[in-house]
Amino acid sequence: MARTVVEVDAVSKSFEIPSVHRETLREHLFGVLEPRKFERLQVLDRVSFELRAGETLGIMGRNGCGKSTLLKVLCGIYTADAGEVRVQTGITPILELGVGWNPELDAIDNIFLIGSIMGLSLRAIDASIDGILAFAELERFARLKLKHYSSGMASRLAYAIAFEAVREVLVLDEIFAVGDAGFKAKCEERYRGLREAGHAVLLVSHETRAISTFCDRAILIDRGRVACEGQATDVVAEYLRVVSNQIQ
Amino acid sequence: MTASAETAPPSREPARPADGPAPRPVTRASDGASVWGLVWTLVRTDFKARYHGTPVGFLWALLKPAAMFLVLVGVFSLIFHDEPNYKLKLIIGLFLWNFFSEATTSGMGSLAAKGFLVSKARFPRWILVVTSIANALITLLVFAGVVTAYLLVSGRGPGVAALGAFLFYILCLATITIGLSLGTSVLFLRFRDLNQIWDMTTQAGFFLAPIVYPLGVIPERYHVYLYLWPPTPAIEFSRLAMVEGVLPSPTAHICLGLMAAGILAVGAVLFQRYGPRAAEYV
Repeated sequence: MARTVVEVDAVSKSFEIPSVHRETLREHLFGVLEPRKFERLQVLDRVSFELRAGETLGIMGRNGCGKSTLLKVLCGIYTADAGEVRVQTGITPILELGVGWNPELDAIDNIFLIGSIMGLSLRAIDASIDGILAFAELERFARLKLKHYSSGMASRLAYAIAFEAVREVLVLDEIFAVGDAGFKAKCEERYRGLREAGHAVLLVSHETRAISTFCDRAILIDRGRVACEGQATDVVAEYLRVVSNQIQ
Repeated sequence: MTASAETAPPSREPARPADGPAPRPVTRASDGASVWGLVWTLVRTDFKARYHGTPVGFLWALLKPAAMFLVLVGVFSLIFHDEPNYKLKLIIGLFLWNFFSEATTSGMGSLAAKGFLVSKARFPRWILVVTSIANALITLLVFAGVVTAYLLVSGRGPGVAALGAFLFYILCLATITIGLSLGTSVLFLRFRDLNQIWDMTTQAGFFLAPIVYPLGVIPERYHVYLYLWPPTPAIEFSRLAMVEGVLPSPTAHICLGLMAAGILAVGAVLFQRYGPRAAEYV
C-alpha cells in the first residue's frame, strides 16, 4: 500500500456565535454590563481520513457541511480545536484562484507575487514564467496590467500558475469549470499529467463528473462528520441521494 | 447547545474560539517555501504598484512630509529663531516621525487589508506585517541618505560614529514599529476601531515628541516622561548625533535598545497568541 502523505485524525472545529456581534472596543465597553450568549456551532466533529501518495481523494458535501473549514484546517489556515493533521510532505493549497492578484501590476509581476505566496522560490518562478504564459496563452499580454485583462484571461493565468506551483500534495477547492472548452481540456490533460507524475490530490467539488472521473476514492461530509467513505462512484451516488432527500 | 452547520450566519465575528483543549499546531514536513523570496516580492511589487514603478512616483511620496516641513518651518522658525540649526532638526524629527506614524498605521491594518490572503493562502503571517512598513522605511532611508549628503556638502559631515549611531536609532525605531505593528495587527481584527484610537494617539504623540520644539524648552524633570514615548529617544538622539555631533551616553543607547527589544517582544507574544486565529476574524 502506498505511504500516507496526509493524515487527518479526529479533527474537530467549532465556532461560538454570539447573540450580539461586537467588533469595536466601544461596543465591548458599552456592552460590559450586558453579557452575551454564545451558541456553539460544531462545524467539524471528529473527522478522520487519510490521503495516500499518488491518490486522488474527492470530498463532497452540501453547502455549509464543513468542507471549506476542513480544507482550511488541513492547510494550516485554521487551527483545530481537537485532533491533529499530519502532513508528511509539501502541500499546495489552492482554495481560490488568483487570490492576492494586484490589478496594478502586469502578468509577470503577478506571477512572481502569486508564485511566491504559493511558496515557489524566485528562481523557480523565473524559470517557469515562459511556460506559465504559454499555458495561459497570454505571451502577447505579459506586460499588460491585470486591470486591463478580461476575467477569462485572468482565470487562465491563475490556472497556469496553480498548475506550476504544485508540490507533492495538491489541495483544490471548487476550481474546475473555468475557461472555454479548449482550455478546460488543456487543464484536464495537465491534471492527468500531474496524477501520472505521482502527485496526490485532495479535490473538493460539487461536480459529480469531476469526482467520478478524477478521484480514486471519495468521502462525503454531512453535518461536520464523515457520512460515507469509499469508491468515488459510490460516494457520488450517496451524495445525490442526500441532495435529493434534502429537496424532497 | 449544538447547532447544525447549515445555520451558520454570515459574520466576521463568530470565530471566537470555543472552549476545549488548546489547539494543536498542524505538523508538517518542510515544504521549502521561500520566505525571503516572498518578503522581497511583496516589498518590490507593493513599491512598484504604489509608485507606478517610476522615480517620479516615489518623489510624490516625499511631497507630504516636505509640505508639512514648509508649513511648520514657516510657523515655528519665528518662535524658535534663537535655536541653532532649528530647520535641520525639524526636518530630521519630521521624517523620523512620519516613518513612525505611517508605518504603525499601515502595520496595524496589514492583516485586515490582506484578509483575502490570510484566509485563503498558507504562508507565515508575520511577513504581511513586516513588509507593510517597507515603503515607509524606504522613504526614511532615502531621506537619511539625502540629509547625510547635505551635511557633507555643507562641510558639517557627521563622523563615522555619528552616522553609525544614526543608523542604530533608525533600526531601533523600525524595531519598535514592527513590535507595535505585530501586536496591533492582530488586535485590530478583533477591535475594528483601534485605528481611530491610534490615530488620536499619534496626533497627541506628535506634540509629545520633541519635533517642532527643542527638548530644552521643557523643564528637565519632565524629560524622563517624554522619553517613555518611543519616538522621542530615536528623534532626540538622531538630532544630537547628526546635527550637534554629540553621542548620548552608553546607558542611553542601552535604554533605547532595551525599549525596542521589549516592544518587539510584547508584539511578538501578542502575535503568537492571537495570530493563529487571524483567518477566523478577517
